[in-house]
Amino acid sequence: MKKDDIFLPKILTFLCNWCSYAGADLAGTSRLQYPASILPVRVMCSSRVDPLLILRAFLNGFDGVLVTGCHLGDCHYQEGNYYTRRRFVMLKKVFDSLGLESDRLRLSWVSAAEGQKYAKVATEFTQKIRELGENSSKNKIFL
Amino acid sequence: MNRKIGVYICECGPNIAEKIDIDKVIEAVTSLNDIVTVERYKLLCSEAGKNYLTEQIKKHSLTHLVVAACSPRDHQLTFMEVCENAKINPYLFQLANIREQCAWVTDNKEEATKKAIRLTKAAIARVRCHSPLEKKEIESNPDILIIGGGIAGIEASLQLAHSNRKIYLVEKNSFLGGLIKNFEKKYPEMQPCSASILQKIETIKKISNIKIFTDSEVQEILGFFGNFEVKVKNKKEKDIESFNVGAVVFATGSSLFDINKNPQYGYGKFDNVLTSLEFEQMNLSKKIVLKNNKTPKSVAIIYCVGRTDKGYCSEICCMYSIKFVRYLKDNIPDIKIVNFYSDLCIPGKSHQKFYEQTQGENIDFIRAENIDITKKGEQLNISYDDETNRKKNCIVDMVILSPALEPSVDAAKLAEFTGVPLGDGDFFAEEHEKLNPVSTSTQGVFIAGCAQGPKSISDTIIQAEAVTGKILSSLIPGKKIEPEVKVSQISESFCIGCKTCLDICSYGAITFDEMNKISVVNEVICRGCGNCVAACPSGAITLKHFTFNQIYEELKEAVQ
Ligand SMILES: Cc1cc2nc3c(=O)[nH]c(=O)nc-3n(C[C@H](O)[C@H](O)[C@H](O)COP(=O)(O)OP(=O)(O)OC[C@H]3O[C@@H](n4cnc5c(N)ncnc54)[C@H](O)[C@@H]3O)c2cc1C
Ligand code: SF4
Ligand code: SF4
Ligand code: SF4
Ligand code: FES
Repeated sequence: MKKDDIFLPKILTFLCNWCSYAGADLAGTSRLQYPASILPVRVMCSSRVDPLLILRAFLNGFDGVLVTGCHLGDCHYQEGNYYTRRRFVMLKKVFDSLGLESDRLRLSWVSAAEGQKYAKVATEFTQKIRELGENSSKNKIFL
Repeated sequence: MNRKIGVYICECGPNIAEKIDIDKVIEAVTSLNDIVTVERYKLLCSEAGKNYLTEQIKKHSLTHLVVAACSPRDHQLTFMEVCENAKINPYLFQLANIREQCAWVTDNKEEATKKAIRLTKAAIARVRCHSPLEKKEIESNPDILIIGGGIAGIEASLQLAHSNRKIYLVEKNSFLGGLIKNFEKKYPEMQPCSASILQKIETIKKISNIKIFTDSEVQEILGFFGNFEVKVKNKKEKDIESFNVGAVVFATGSSLFDINKNPQYGYGKFDNVLTSLEFEQMNLSKKIVLKNNKTPKSVAIIYCVGRTDKGYCSEICCMYSIKFVRYLKDNIPDIKIVNFYSDLCIPGKSHQKFYEQTQGENIDFIRAENIDITKKGEQLNISYDDETNRKKNCIVDMVILSPALEPSVDAAKLAEFTGVPLGDGDFFAEEHEKLNPVSTSTQGVFIAGCAQGPKSISDTIIQAEAVTGKILSSLIPGKKIEPEVKVSQISESFCIGCKTCLDICSYGAITFDEMNKISVVNEVICRGCGNCVAACPSGAITLKHFTFNQIYEELKEAVQ
């Protein structure tokens, strides 16, 4: 067996209720297949995802964190995802300055019609995390 | 508290049962803390399934319920109802989606089973942190305030009054009718316009349910959906009237772009240069004449005036300019008409035909740029660049300018004191271009007609009808309003009064308590997005049902 087949990373995936969760459901009803690495957590809007939650998730052992939301301009709560994007950029910088791997974070806009895109992002991001290997910083730092 | 959690795993016929080893899931969660029973069932959302769940809740005196089945978008409400019927709080329930986001997307049964175990455990961990939430109900006032007595305001008033609603219609001018009162006919059907709106005004005046305020302005709107307090001031008599309504419609329309900002057209400087509105009035009075009372032999119509300044196309100017050609030919058959356009915008199923039928002898359409108008004796000289960039001149008796539409001068003021935001071109912003095109970010405040953006009479009426539908279906007499339950709360002791959250909230749900120097969420206005929670630097804000703890416990369990 190749190493790829053995290592199934754990990827925390935040989905906003209105677009991305519906998009992920559509991937399901269309029977698109993607790795079981994706562990979905539903929030009402991507803007609820505060950076501290992501940091904690990471330190708890997730190998990657994927945040999904409506496309810019389509947020059910008007401007929520603009804030999400801003916080995400900031968090990546914080990761870099703490010596954590910011490549383990990804932000992606997935609409309710984009089941295909969701499956693709899930697959590609899993591949990326496989390349990075297991999250080595887990349980090392406590906040 | 002694928790008794019941966990039910749905087979969904073969949908889940074939893809996930349900017995393994049962085995994995049975010995967890607080778990009283773990069962599998064929079809939980069926009538039999719901009855089964209700009995189970009673039999085991469950305090919390976890269902592992399909997406919450499918059956969250179904199971919340089951909880209510079985007398447990519906928020002490969590649904794990092991179908759409597990069984159906994972080929490998072993991996799917492992993932289902993680998701079910995560749901159990989450439900442990749930708190019961109570539905709130607020009395609502079914009456409606409509601001602006143009066709948008009149249509909305008539239709709402037909459904027995009480309407307060406020118009700043001394007369109703708005712009279209000046039009003899309307494109594209060329049916009478002024006459028909005058008739509607007569009708509306007779309806006792509609209280009309002319020469009046709205001074204050306080409160929220279902309960707005309004103050209207009569500008002449200076007296103020107060009343309550449940919903508000902004139908303040638009005005013409100020042509004085484009002096090259000679408006105000030379005789016989008119705005489109002035020409409509002239045509309505059946006296299309020059300043010297003579009949014009030639007229130029200049399209797109102010379009570059405004940065948008006003949608209607091309069409009404073509209508002017019809007016002119009807009144002065041998008149020469030159149309100077920059881009002809004639979308819609009947407009192309209308344009084609307006062509003929002595009617020219010229695509032109850099137009400049000067006086030439009694006449006017139009210099312009044609499509090949050559300078040309054209001499006419009269010039009609078709300027862009811009928001009513009072829109900004209204936006300011109601907190309803302005969007592109400073027109009132719709809540969502596609999802909620006639709502605003303030619940219970709607927009119709040119207040939302330039548009034709028929599109205005469509919006007035849409607003009517929205109001009739959401603000129902005798029916209480149920505001969102999963709202934010600010802790008095943690808030440091930094005001960050005030700007973040798109709905103006957060206000600052100057006395105590802390921010406060108005639970009736909050929509529960959670943006403010992520923004607060001191962790003072909690979003009910999506608390830090609830989400954290869920994800912690998923990664185990
Ligand atoms: C020259 C011209 C010709 C046109 N010809 C046609 C045509 O042939 N066919 C067609 O389909 N469309 C035509 N249109 C477009 C048409 O005028 C609009 O679609 C229509 O007027 C929109 O109606 P409304 O009620 O939204 O706005 P308006 O007609 O602008 O009415 C708004 C009303 O609100 C009042 N108001 C504003 N602010 C306040 C306030 N703060 N408080 C109280 N009252 C306030 C105003 O006084 C006014 O009475 C033409 C437009 C122009 C400029
Ligand atoms: S509750 Fe959902 S998973 Fe269960 S039978 Fe119904 S649709 Fe299928
Ligand atoms: S952001 Fe937090 S601390 Fe600042 S005012 Fe709002 S609730 Fe208070
Ligand atoms: S949760 Fe959203 S709507 Fe509610 S107060 Fe916070 S930002 Fe405003
Ligand atoms: S609701 Fe989807 S990002 Fe805000």
